[in-house]
Amino acid sequence: MAGNENSGGMRPTAPQNNPANISATGGDGQSGQPQRYMSGLPYGSGGNMQQQAGAPMAQAPSPVAAPSAPGGLNELQGLLAGMTSIDAPPTDPTIPVSTGIDFGRGEGSSSMPAQYRSDQRDTEALDLIKKYLPDLINATRVSDAPDSYKKFVNYLKSQVI
Amino acid sequence: MQWMENTFFDHLDKFSNSLGYENFGIAFSLSSIEWKTTEARDSFIRAITGTDVKGGGE
Repeated sequence: MAGNENSGGMRPTAPQNNPANISATGGDGQSGQPQRYMSGLPYGSGGNMQQQAGAPMAQAPSPVAAPSAPGGLNELQGLLAGMTSIDAPPTDPTIPVSTGIDFGRGEGSSSMPAQYRSDQRDTEALDLIKKYLPDLINATRVSDAPDSYKKFVNYLKSQVI
Repeated sequence: MQWMENTFFDHLDKFSNSLGYENFGIAFSLSSIEWKTTEARDSFIRAITGTDVKGGGE
């Protein structure tokens, strides 16, 4: 079945087999993006396909993306405006810079508001211990239970209650 | 019932006493691990605390 060039099969002279026809940029070398039909729209809205035809392909993202949302930069600047920079002079020189941490001058972490003091992990662990405390206490009644374990369970009880 | 080694409660005893009561959250999590042997657990405790294992008596 040879002789007819449209009969299929491998043709070395076909355009797709010519290395010169391969775009160096791959698919990115195509101009624009393919038009796609949007289904489910009211009758006549299919004209949006024409709008798509004019839409250029998105550019490759640059490593440093500038905020493009309208007002995004302004919002950020607004947030930062109310903040004190880390190297700003103290607003109250009578408060040592180490106030709030457990070393140096000034009050320790006890002076911090509760939401900064409580460790979320400890809170979760306490919830877990509340749940299993009866079992932990039962284990203290086992013969040969070490005193070190009993002391620890007593400590847990004092934390929970 | 008797106190048994290489159980959750035994692990909790060793971890809580070795790491300190205030670290009960971590002790609880580490005790939930199925340690292959008590030696493996104890060598882990020694590695992270730098001291010998505490608990199991006193």
